[in-house]
Parts: sequence; C-alpha cells; structure tokens
Amino acid sequence: MTEVAVHIDDVSKKFRLYKERNQSLKSAIMRGRKSVHEDFWALNDISFDINTGETFGLVGDNGSGKSTLLKCMAQILYPDKGSIAMKGRVAALLEVGSGFHPELSGRENIFLNGSILGMSKQEIVKKFDSIVDFSGVSEFIDQPVKNYSSGMYVRLGFSVAIHVDPDILLVDEVLAVGDETFQQKCADKFVEFRRDGKTVIIVSHALGTMMTMCDRLAWLSHGELQAVGNPESVVAEYRGVAQ
Amino acid sequence: MAVSSEFKRSRELFINLTQRELKGKYKRTVLGQLWSLANPLALMLVYTFVFAFIFRIAPPVGSPSGLDAFPLWLLCGLLPWIFFSNVVQQGMGVLLANEGLIKKVYFPRNVLIFSSAASLAVNWGIEMMVLIVALVIAGAYGVIVWLPVVIFFMFLLAVFAVGIALMLSIANVHFRDTQYFVGIILQLGMYLTPVIYPISLVQVQSDRFGSLFGVFSLVDLYRLNPMERFLSAFRSLLYDNTWPALGDTVACVLISAVVFALGWVVFRRNERKLAEIL
Ligand SMILES: Nc1ncnc2c1ncn2[C@@H]1O[C@H](COP(=O)(O)OP(=O)(O)OP(=O)(O)O)[C@@H](O)[C@H]1O
Ligand SMILES: [Mg+2]
Repeated sequence: MTEVAVHIDDVSKKFRLYKERNQSLKSAIMRGRKSVHEDFWALNDISFDINTGETFGLVGDNGSGKSTLLKCMAQILYPDKGSIAMKGRVAALLEVGSGFHPELSGRENIFLNGSILGMSKQEIVKKFDSIVDFSGVSEFIDQPVKNYSSGMYVRLGFSVAIHVDPDILLVDEVLAVGDETFQQKCADKFVEFRRDGKTVIIVSHALGTMMTMCDRLAWLSHGELQAVGNPESVVAEYRGVAQ
Repeated sequence: MAVSSEFKRSRELFINLTQRELKGKYKRTVLGQLWSLANPLALMLVYTFVFAFIFRIAPPVGSPSGLDAFPLWLLCGLLPWIFFSNVVQQGMGVLLANEGLIKKVYFPRNVLIFSSAASLAVNWGIEMMVLIVALVIAGAYGVIVWLPVVIFFMFLLAVFAVGIALMLSIANVHFRDTQYFVGIILQLGMYLTPVIYPISLVQVQSDRFGSLFGVFSLVDLYRLNPMERFLSAFRSLLYDNTWPALGDTVACVLISAVVFALGWVVFRRNERKLAEIL
C-alpha cells in the first residue's frame, strides 16, 4: 500500500559549459552564430521512485549531481529529458535565508520570506509565534536582519522554511547550520515530519547521520545512479568504491 | 484549481515583494518616502530654468483649462516619462539583482518584474496626486472630472512599460550590454519625445522641410514614438482638461496590449531556463 510521492522517470540534465563566456553582444557577434560550448550531462537517465512518508537520502561525491537532481525536483531547473512528478506541496531548503532583505526587520522578513516560499498571509500570521519561537531570535525580531549574527540569520531562515508545512521537503546540506541545540531542534523537527507521514529528501555527506535518519538511500556518481536501497548496503557499497 | 492557487500564491508574493521594495528603499532616511518626490521636483526646477527662462520655450495655453504655466505643463509629461523610464530600467535589472533567489527558490519569476513596477507605480501615484493638487490650485478645477480617464491611461502606460521590461529583462540576462544600451536609448528618448518642449516646435520644422521622400513628414516620423502618444494623452487630460485625441487613445490601447502580450510570451518562453543561464 505504498504511495509514490516522487516519480523520477529517465531524467537527464545537460549544462552548457562555455569555453569563453563573457555575456556581451560583442563576443556574440564575434563568434558568429555558433557559440563555443560543450554539453555536459550532469544527470544521466536517472529513474527511481520515492514513497510517501519516506525519509530518503542522496549521497555521492562532490559534483556527482545531487544538488542538480534536487533542483530539478524543486522546479528550479528543468530536465532536458525525462520527467519528474511530485505529489503534493513541495518546499526546498536549498539555501536558507535567501530572499531576506537586510534593511528590514526579522518580523518583516518572516512575512516576505514566507510568501516567497509559498505561504499565505493568514498562514504566516497563524504560525508567526511558532516560527519566532523555533528560531530562538525573539529578542531581535524587530531589529534589521543585517545586524544578526550569521547563525541567527540561518536559524530564522531555517525556521521560516520548516514552517511551510510541505508534503515533500527537499533539504540540501543545511543540516549543519546553527549551534548544537539548534541542530537538535532540527533533528526533532525531521522526526516530527516523518511521524506526520511527510516525505523528506535529504542530501548530505554525513554518512553516519544519513544511515540513522533515512529509510532508503540513493547513490549518485558522475550523474549516474549507482544504487538505491537500504542505507547500510548503499553506504557500504559507496565506501567500498571510495577506498 | 492548480492554476488558481498558483495565482493566489503569486498575488501574495507580489504584494510582499512590492512592500519590500517600498519599505527597504527609504529605510533610515529622515525624509523617507518624500525623497521620491525630490527627483521630479529638482528636474522641474532645472528644466524650467533652462528651457522656459533661458530658451524661452512657451507651451500652448491649456484649453479649456486656461492654464499657462511651464512647470505644470512640464510635469504633466515629465512624471509619466520618469515612471516609464524607471520601470524599464529597474525591471531590466531585476532578474540579475535577484539571482540568488531565482537559483534557490521556485516561484513565478514574472512577479519580480511586476512588483518592481508596482513599487514605482506607487511613487508615481503619489507624484501625480501632488501634481493634480497643484493643477487645481493653479485654477484647472476641471481636472477632477478627468481623474478616472487619467487613471485609465496610467494603467495603460504601466502595462506598456511592464511589457517592455519583461522583454528587456530576458535580453539582459543573455547580454549584459542591454542595460547600458537601453540606458542611453532612454536618455536620448527623453529628448526625442515632447517632454520638455511642445510638439508644435517639431511641427514648425517639419513644415519647413515638407514631406520626406514624398510620403511622410518629419512629424509623422516623430510621432511613431509610442511615448509621444501617451504624453499627448496625459497633457490633454491634465493640462487642457479635455478628451485625448481619438487617434492617441487607440494607439495607446493597441500598443500597450501588443507590447505586453509580446513581453509575456518572451518571458514565458525563457523563464524556465533562468536559473541556469543567470
Ligand atoms: N549552472 C550550472 N552550469 C554548469 N554546470 C553546472 C551548473 N550547476 C551544476 N553544474 C555541474 O554539474 C555537476 C553536478 O553538480 P551538483 O551541484 O549537482 O553536485 P553535487 O552532487 O551537489 O556536489 P556537492 O556534493 O559538491 O554539493 C558539477 O560538475 C557542476 O559543475
Ligand atoms: Mg550540492
């Protein structure tokens, strides 16, 4: 009775690598109609499903295409081949605090950032106290965020993002933010997500944490899917190759 | 359903981004929003000094309003021009300015252009209100009656400007030259549009030359500029207190509809690639 939350079907993503790219009209005219670039396939025929309620991890070396795949899921990038079907509301934590306006206060930024992430005003009003509470920056909430420490900045951003209340949460290496108490809070939040039957997709290099947190893992290498399955075996396989 | 929730989401975001623009801009300034009035006011003083006092340009007397004041006549054209120019210039750069956001978060990208234009429209609205008060004080009471039509034309100009901004913002992502090039075009454009001198002066020169190539006159060529139509409509409404010429009205409606549709299509076709090419 497992439902599919994310259906990834034969996805390939191509980037253009420009030999020489200064985006000026002059260079475009000089090189004539044909632009000097090479196609680079960051993802190659990736297919797998992620079930609803699963905590799913993506692992792989730097540059293996994990973030690219996550961005395709978040509709920031679009695959050149294949398709991705997402079931439910999606929220991506690719970078926390993007969209903060430095001159505006924490309070104003919660509303701004919340709406960028797709929350309605009533929703933000309803969750406002909880957002401030979770972030732990309540004393500074009416200060402009440019006066925040980098940790506080991240905490507030993370707190807003986590309150979007998505069906599918995409997280790219933002687990390591904030101090220990905050990390514990985040971990608890993920447990809560999972209890509520939400799907969480995490990218991380912390293999130990991934093994304990995730139900299944996928391993990417040079844009190819190497293995999908139970965390221990995937990590063992991945580590085997790394050595 | 998906479409309507998408629309609702855009609307919410639109309102918030517009507020960010408005609130963030004049934070920590003593005069705050008043600064947005300072620029047109300063231009008015300079242009009035140079063109009315030194060059002795005399605008036509408003009919039926009976107004005869260069500064007011100037502002009726200058304020719409500044708005247009700002929307194009700011809108063009807004994708680059929000690169970080576009690369990290999914949201309808055109909201960036719309909210940039909306924040400028708020400032323009305030400027226009001040102008209208000034016009009434100067004796053009009739302007009150024309307010709904003025608002209609303000809407048309906004649509036109946003259409151009949508197109140029995409062009600017591909070729960063666009913003500098367009900046110069806008500067020239102000002098090739009857902002600070009346079109009657162009008519005089045009009559001197007669028809060019036997087909059109200089003034016909001059009037191909859509902004000329808009300014002529605004001056009829605000300064003369009468209906704009039918030809100008039709031209404004058609041009803004076509340009906006074009801008929309261009933007639609390119917005998916933005995160990659930025
Ligand atoms: N916009 C882009 N243009 C060109 N190449 C890109 C672009 N984005 C990513 N790439 C390339 O795609 C490949 C995969 O990048 P990606 O960011 O997905 O790696 P990753 O698995 O997330 O690595 P890391 O563990 O370092 O975060 C890299 O070789 C990268 O250079
Ligand atoms: Mg990455």
